[in-house]
Amino acid sequence: MGKAIRRVLGLLLSAGALALGAGVAEAHPHVWITASSELIYVPDGSISGVRHAWTFDDMFSTYALQGIETKTQGVYSREELGPLAQTNVESLKEFGFFTFARADGKKEKFQEPVDYFLEVKDGLLILHFTLPLKTPVKPKELALEVFDPSFFVDFKFADKDPVRLVGAPATCQVNFQRPNDGTVNAQALGEQTFTNGDNSNFGAMFANKITVTCP
Amino acid sequence: MLDGAVHALMAQTPFGGSRASGAEPQVGGVVGWLLSKQSEFYREMSATIRAAKSDGHAVWTLLGISFAYGIFHAAGPGHGKAVISSYLVANQETARRGVVLSFASALLQSLVAVVMVGVCAWLLNATARTMCGAERTIEIVSYALIAAFGARLVWTKGGGFMRALQVQRPALARAAAASHDHAGHGHHHHHHEHAPAHAEVAHLAHDHDEHCGHSHGPVPRELAGPGGWRRGFGAIFAVGLRPCSGAILVLVFALAQGLFWAGVAATFVMGLGTAITVAAIAVIAVSAKDLARRLSGTKEGGGALFMRGVEFGAAGLVLLFGVGLLFGYLAAERVTCF
Repeated sequence: MGKAIRRVLGLLLSAGALALGAGVAEAHPHVWITASSELIYVPDGSISGVRHAWTFDDMFSTYALQGIETKTQGVYSREELGPLAQTNVESLKEFGFFTFARADGKKEKFQEPVDYFLEVKDGLLILHFTLPLKTPVKPKELALEVFDPSFFVDFKFADKDPVRLVGAPATCQVNFQRPNDGTVNAQALGEQTFTNGDNSNFGAMFANKITVTCP
Repeated sequence: MLDGAVHALMAQTPFGGSRASGAEPQVGGVVGWLLSKQSEFYREMSATIRAAKSDGHAVWTLLGISFAYGIFHAAGPGHGKAVISSYLVANQETARRGVVLSFASALLQSLVAVVMVGVCAWLLNATARTMCGAERTIEIVSYALIAAFGARLVWTKGGGFMRALQVQRPALARAAAASHDHAGHGHHHHHHEHAPAHAEVAHLAHDHDEHCGHSHGPVPRELAGPGGWRRGFGAIFAVGLRPCSGAILVLVFALAQGLFWAGVAATFVMGLGTAITVAAIAVIAVSAKDLARRLSGTKEGGGALFMRGVEFGAAGLVLLFGVGLLFGYLAAERVTCF
């Protein structure tokens, strides 16, 4: 039996691997976001939260605006976009707002978003929202990553002012690291990731890393 | 929205070690390349549709891009081709049937996307949220159908497998006995004496196969008949029902640009590209099974039992896909709902 069995078992195993890998390879981005983020500091020098402005791509902006009633065609007021903004932040909750923070290596949690609204600029939809930290922190090093682990959303930070510190002590320094060139990263996607069936962290290699150090 | 996608099989912390522990760049390069190509084509679509408003030639570019996108999109392992291939293997289907199934399900998939956007967005001017709700409902129904379809396959193939096992066991016992009797007669002799036992096994299995052919496991010839096509329809329906999120986005965008027809054309061309890739994969799956059948049939005894086992396994895969997709363990493309 040996040889044939092994050969066919091999086939079956690859089929299984294919099955489990399904999520990984199908997860190519459908939404592109150009982000710029601000870290908000309170007077005592602690970080209280993150304020995001996410600009959606052309196609997704059009899709999201489909069917929204406006007084003037093509002009969207903040009120008219209110329900959509509400849906956005509610939906994003499930994904941890694609925002992951660590203060001196310890994972930080965020509260419900506040001050959220949508605007349309040059035909593109921009989502503004602020994520307050559960408790303000004053770490030596704060690491913030913005990415979609499943890579359905592709995050790119704006070329101009990708990250700003608002009200931070003068000694604090921000370091922003873009993901390496996307294709290189995609190619680093090994067999291992592929057969694991683990696409939970697939997008991590596309993460934008922000590090703030305050001595 | 987007529900189970994150509940991947082995969820890790958001900062989990996946990157650090290192995906080694090996064969994965192909996957990476496919990924970057698809997104490249996909991203070009919106600009091309815009351009098509003033320049008619851009429509041809759009169709070209859509076709390429369809080919690449389907080349990554996704549930559609996985389900179709497993079904073909489980059901002793012909390669020709595989090609037809692939094209039919891709066509249905395009059709569903066009009808959905046509009715929801164009006629009813529904919001993206409403559309997305509809899309998700269809998705759940589609996954449930795949699961049900898989369950039925497992049921029938399981029966065939069990029967093959029952036929096999006494024969194997006899074979073992024969081998025991002749154990002391030296290797060469032993091998020689053994042969009749093998032949017997093969013979029994063959008988069984013929019997099965009429009641449980249809032969390809039968499948080409009207009943067979009806069975195939189940597969087409289960897989093709769920529209591709990419197509929906393209259609809505084209509609907003006043070029709905261009979006429709792009969607069908995309479907054509998808069908070609899925058909190729289906043909490979069927050929692999034929190869397996030949290998196990000529060289070894117990070939039929083995093939029933393969079919049973493939049927199990279809069920696994359905259940996995339904409960979000297997994340296919997420439906865009934010």
